[in-house]
Amino acid sequence: MKTFKYIWRNIRRNPIRSLLTILSVGFSLALMTVLYGFLASQETWKNGAAQANRIVVMNIQGFSGALPISAVDDVRATQSVAAAVPFAWFGGSYQDEQMPFAQFATDPNSVFDVWPEYSIPPGELTAFKTNRQGCVLDRRIAARRGWKVGDRVQLKGAIYPFDLDLEISGIFDSPKNTDSLYFHWNYLNEGLKQQSYPNIDNAGTIFARISSSDSIPTVIKSIDDKFGSSDTPTRSQTEAAFAQMFVDMLGNVQVLIRNIGLAVVFSLSLVTANSMAMAIRERVTEIAVLKAIGFPRSRVLFMVLGEACTISMLGGFLGVGMGCLFLQGMNRLLPQFFPFTVMEMLGPWISYGLIAAALLGLISGIVPAIRAAQMSVIDGLRRIA
Amino acid sequence: MSNSNAGETVVVVREVCKEFRRDQLTIPVLSGINLQLSEGDYLALMGPSGSGKTTLLNLIAGLDRPTAGDVIVCGQNLGQSSEGELAKWRSRHVGFIFQMYNLIPVLTAYENVELPLTLTSLSRRQRDDHVKAALEVVGLQDRMDHYPRQLSGGQEQRVAIARAIVTDPTLLVADEPTGDLDAKSAGEILELLHRLNTEFRKTIVMVTHDPNAAARARRILHLEKGLLVSEVVSSRAKESVQ
Ligand SMILES: Nc1ncnc2c1ncn2[C@@H]1O[C@H](COP(=O)(O)OP(=O)(O)O)[C@@H](O)[C@H]1O
Ligand SMILES: [Mg+2]
Repeated sequence: MKTFKYIWRNIRRNPIRSLLTILSVGFSLALMTVLYGFLASQETWKNGAAQANRIVVMNIQGFSGALPISAVDDVRATQSVAAAVPFAWFGGSYQDEQMPFAQFATDPNSVFDVWPEYSIPPGELTAFKTNRQGCVLDRRIAARRGWKVGDRVQLKGAIYPFDLDLEISGIFDSPKNTDSLYFHWNYLNEGLKQQSYPNIDNAGTIFARISSSDSIPTVIKSIDDKFGSSDTPTRSQTEAAFAQMFVDMLGNVQVLIRNIGLAVVFSLSLVTANSMAMAIRERVTEIAVLKAIGFPRSRVLFMVLGEACTISMLGGFLGVGMGCLFLQGMNRLLPQFFPFTVMEMLGPWISYGLIAAALLGLISGIVPAIRAAQMSVIDGLRRIA
Repeated sequence: MSNSNAGETVVVVREVCKEFRRDQLTIPVLSGINLQLSEGDYLALMGPSGSGKTTLLNLIAGLDRPTAGDVIVCGQNLGQSSEGELAKWRSRHVGFIFQMYNLIPVLTAYENVELPLTLTSLSRRQRDDHVKAALEVVGLQDRMDHYPRQLSGGQEQRVAIARAIVTDPTLLVADEPTGDLDAKSAGEILELLHRLNTEFRKTIVMVTHDPNAAARARRILHLEKGLLVSEVVSSRAKESVQ
């Protein structure tokens, strides 16, 4: 369309200023996209957890409390429990990396029954079960570090006074990045015994898969009832509720993040409004000429508004694109904080940056646009002389 | 309305007063102006700086409304028209030529000339025909892809004239069209206006300081302190009588 060509030429008239405006919108909306993407990843985790019929059993005091390993068998004995495993966070460092990936001490015989959506070649699983120092890990970790079956991995204990010397028995595939390594709970426990560590025989938490979602409430109740009068009362919850608990810990952070997003949009509207106002001020005579020729106010308004919106939308697409690329990169580099790819957590949040950009265009363009539309023709022309 | 009837009245200015208000101050600029132009007339407005020439031209062109009196152009009473109506009316009936050419710097000569046509319902093909015809009249069809900064002052003014005539308006208004040009270019512009007046029967109102330019018009009016002081029939008009 003719008008759009004119708008585009006006944007290119002062390319540096337009580019700077587009970049400032772009970088800020990229920041906003990353923040909202982070919130979206938590939602995705929660929603994914809701689909799995899994529950998490832990000490009523929370993560720091212990659960005796015998509790695993008690959970297994509960009606409708298909499989259960201890799941203890090791948190060791690899060479000089503090948090290379997640490591869990668990039961190799049942771990793939609790997470049936993970797949591992049967031979590798058998090797894992029979090798006390064996471990399995997410294919993404193996790919990133160039590890293969048979390689050895040394992990230095951070919480525990015990270092792991592991051999990779197998590599598993999972629908989403777990960024995890699993090894024998027994290996850790025996090692701790030898160090005369006080808190041995600790399962950490227990993950259990329930045969049908209908029976989850009954299972939770009967487990918590069973341990209610023991030394270690438990709190059981669905994996979704467990995820929600993590999300809730960030509750205020979420509000903060949302408000930062709004503040970004507001401060940006000042930047773009200023650059639009400057652009119009330089063109007073030209606008007067257009109006003399017969351009109606509406068309002048539309042109100025169109220019502001085009600039901010260019910034919006740039920002959302950069934000998504950044999230994608973080998913590869820091999967423990960004466990999902952008495609895996697609949702309305992806368009917030674009909506913000559109609003930005309207907010920053409306005042200069109305001014241009209402500007007196004869005063504008008089500026020439 | 039809312009085919030769001698039809195009402009009527009747007892027009114009004053501007700045803060508390009222500045009277025009008082009791009467003027009538027929189709094909060519009027030169002269007078000292600040005498109200531009103000009168703006009233005739529908850019502003009189404080008192009537301005009726092409049958429209401009004083009683809304701003929106005036804009629409200008796009149909008036072509503008300014001292500083006032082309849009980011548009090519072709696009500048096309600009008034974007307000019409003409198809792209029809617009193209009109633009090329207008550029041909001013002799710049070979420069249509040039930007204003790539043209000389005289050429810019010719593009501006093409833009003014592309919608085939009845009335052309020119405010000191040669004021910023060298003698040769000024001569070309005046020649062009002369052709538009005689060949295309455009009614022209031109403000000028230059007696040589005024001499090309059919009528010359002098403004002094907001009053029309004398009407001179130009030498050209005398020639055509002889
Ligand atoms: N918009 C305006 N506001 C106030 N005063 C104006 C305005 N336009 C013109 N004037 C005044 O009106 C007088 C005539 O101006 P103008 O018509 O431009 O004169 P000319 O074109 O003959 O030089 C001048 O004194 C000028 O200052
Ligand atoms: Mg003037």
